[in-house]
Amino acid sequence: MRNCFAWISVFILLFSTVDSQAQFDPKTVCRFENGRLVFKLDKRWTASQRKQIADAYDLDSVLMAWAMNGNPKITQNGIIWTTRKLDADHIELSKDNNQSSGKEVDIGKIMLVDDQWIKLAAVEELESVSYGVNRLTRNTVINLSQNRVRIFLPGYNTVKKIFISGSFNDWSTIGNPLQKCDSGWTTTLTLIPGKYAYKFITDGKWTNDPYNKLREDDDNGGFNNLFFCYNYKFVLNGYPQARKVVVTGSFNEWNESELRMIRFHGSWILPLYLREGTHAYKFIVDDTWITDPANKITRPDGTGHFNSFMGMGDTLFFRLKGYLNAKTVVVAGNFNVWNTGELFMLKTADGWQLPYVLAAGNYEYKFVVDGGWITDPGNPYSTGSGPSANSFLTVKPNYTFRLEQHSDASNVFLTGSFNGWSPNGYRMIKKDGTWLFPLYLKPGKYTYKFIVDKKWILDPSNELWEDNEYGTGNSVLWIEP
Amino acid sequence: MSARAGCDCLFLKVLLVLLIFPPGMISAKKIMPERVPALLESVTISGSSISDQQGNFVGVTIPLRRVGRLFLLEGTINNISGNFILDTGASGLVLNKTYFRNSIPVDDEEGGGVTGATNSVARINVKRLLVSDLLYSNIPADVTSLGHLENRRGVKILGLFGMSLLKNVEIVIDVRNNELQIYSLDKRGNRVSSASPADKFDIIQKVEEFHHVIFVKASIGGKILDFCLDTGAESNVLSTDAPKNALSKVTITRRSNLQGVGEDRGEVLFGTLNEFLMGNHQILNMETIICSLAAMAQKYEYPIDGMLGYDFFVKGKVHINLVKKEMSICLKEEDKP
Repeated sequence: MRNCFAWISVFILLFSTVDSQAQFDPKTVCRFENGRLVFKLDKRWTASQRKQIADAYDLDSVLMAWAMNGNPKITQNGIIWTTRKLDADHIELSKDNNQSSGKEVDIGKIMLVDDQWIKLAAVEELESVSYGVNRLTRNTVINLSQNRVRIFLPGYNTVKKIFISGSFNDWSTIGNPLQKCDSGWTTTLTLIPGKYAYKFITDGKWTNDPYNKLREDDDNGGFNNLFFCYNYKFVLNGYPQARKVVVTGSFNEWNESELRMIRFHGSWILPLYLREGTHAYKFIVDDTWITDPANKITRPDGTGHFNSFMGMGDTLFFRLKGYLNAKTVVVAGNFNVWNTGELFMLKTADGWQLPYVLAAGNYEYKFVVDGGWITDPGNPYSTGSGPSANSFLTVKPNYTFRLEQHSDASNVFLTGSFNGWSPNGYRMIKKDGTWLFPLYLKPGKYTYKFIVDKKWILDPSNELWEDNEYGTGNSVLWIEP
Repeated sequence: MSARAGCDCLFLKVLLVLLIFPPGMISAKKIMPERVPALLESVTISGSSISDQQGNFVGVTIPLRRVGRLFLLEGTINNISGNFILDTGASGLVLNKTYFRNSIPVDDEEGGGVTGATNSVARINVKRLLVSDLLYSNIPADVTSLGHLENRRGVKILGLFGMSLLKNVEIVIDVRNNELQIYSLDKRGNRVSSASPADKFDIIQKVEEFHHVIFVKASIGGKILDFCLDTGAESNVLSTDAPKNALSKVTITRRSNLQGVGEDRGEVLFGTLNEFLMGNHQILNMETIICSLAAMAQKYEYPIDGMLGYDFFVKGKVHINLVKKEMSICLKEEDKP
């Protein structure tokens, strides 16, 4: 008998779920009918279903509540809404379409909303990856020394022009032509190490690399090919009798089979791309895990074993002079989510220091001396002011903003699209009468201004500027890939 | 102090529609403006020529880039490289003031200088416009601010490649292959030679040109509507003033109240057009924005029920021949009923 009740309960539960789903179809909620915009509301909706409808149709929750409570006429923000009871569960809320007709809306704002609705990224960026190895059936992409990559497309003897277009040149269709050689077409690119998507353009037609197995969806029913510009080579000397050697590490979540090394003149090697930063790794020689015999830097893995460690990128030193009586000095910044329990500096003869590897970029930081926050007295660059001021560090800057005029000004700040137009901006420093601020900027467009003693000015040395909503213009800077 | 995100090319077109100018085509047809404006030497859009079996030139193929929902052609102007938006909604060649400010005669720029007008339009002359192997000579160009488009999509926009440049040719917008083909035509509107096998069209529809804008008729729910054909529109748009029967056939999935001009708040809806027919053929899955086009209709002095933009052109391969006043479409299989 108990089983019988249980089955009935399950049946009721299933039935009620199906019924509830049948009641809730957001696509049937809103419609135009006889010149009116009509919303069919259901009193049985759950709180989360009501919220879903309110969000989808930008309906005020108070308006919905008033309608469901049976108010026949509601005026909100100058719009007159009327309600009509359909049955015990359903209410129609509607307004005359003419009330909205003719009201101009900025198409730019519409497209921003539309982008969100269709989940279109405003500016598309290639996904960042930790590592990568090319997979080619013919050598159409060959990594050379000094970040150069040779591209080779065999055949195509009858075409007149071939270009390579990809994320490395912002998909320029004319920027990188290939030259004809005896067996195909070739060019050499100099790139920053990393992952790149590409296609060829053969006499105006987009063409895939048939010899490259790495590919990703091009959002047009086809695909782009991918390659990596290498920046590192794992080497394991010896082990000539080994059948298989794999390198594994924190960069590929310790995958035990993915990165097989290649036998090369009595050693084992694997050239690849590795993202800048610190990586733990080991070799697996015929199922035996070993640290790198050529690398003395090892650290415990927490299980009684050791991993080899290596840093990609330039090591920089945070240094603080003095404070020799302090018990602890910590570096905290946006590169470690302002964690004050992680990067403890080491005491030296005249102060404190910490070696650290950071990828190219712009960073804010402070020192924490026995719990007290201070900016770096050895770094003239800062952002913000007063207690909210932080020291500012640019690793591998690729552009320096310069203002040669106004050498007698007291304060000059740089502000723009790269820092959210912060009025406290980046505080420029004066060298030989010129105000300077170096930054690392990814390829793309930036708009900016200088603030000279609280007065916003265009960059007088940059003839590119565009209009803004204040009629005062913004200077325009393009960082090319 | 954010960069201007003001009016879009859609409204820019409203401004530009009054600036009427025919193009000079291969025959170097000269157009004399009322006064001689500053001259830009050379505008180049890159592509490859299409030849017939005898090696005769019949047209050009230009690779299209798609950024967001814009169709871009890459080119250079006086050694500045960047992109042009393929924009049948713009009246002709339009250049971005950011890069060509110095080409504008001083007294042509309203307000003159930094504190001046935010969206003024000046006129200059371009000596040569080379689209792969197609040469246009002495082309008038409007110069105005297009910075808001750049900021939204993160690409350098040198200008708009608009209607008057497409009048005497057949264009083929092949979104699946990301190609724009431009074919030379004889006086009757026929290709000078057939280089490739003719497409088998699902739809052949008459188009009209008015104020340098292409109009095409389509029906929704049995009501015949007038749509602008606009490759620069990032979405289809249906006017809130469209006939009631047509509006009632839209499945509405989203709505938003946006700050309009002044104190007003405007309404924009998003949905799918049901029962959308062009000729006798239904086109499925036509997504659209629904908002007021009253200001645009007022400027055109022509009732506009909607615009067919990106969501329409991705439905297949679209041929537009303004000499024959005809649009022909090969639909993708998935968008046929």
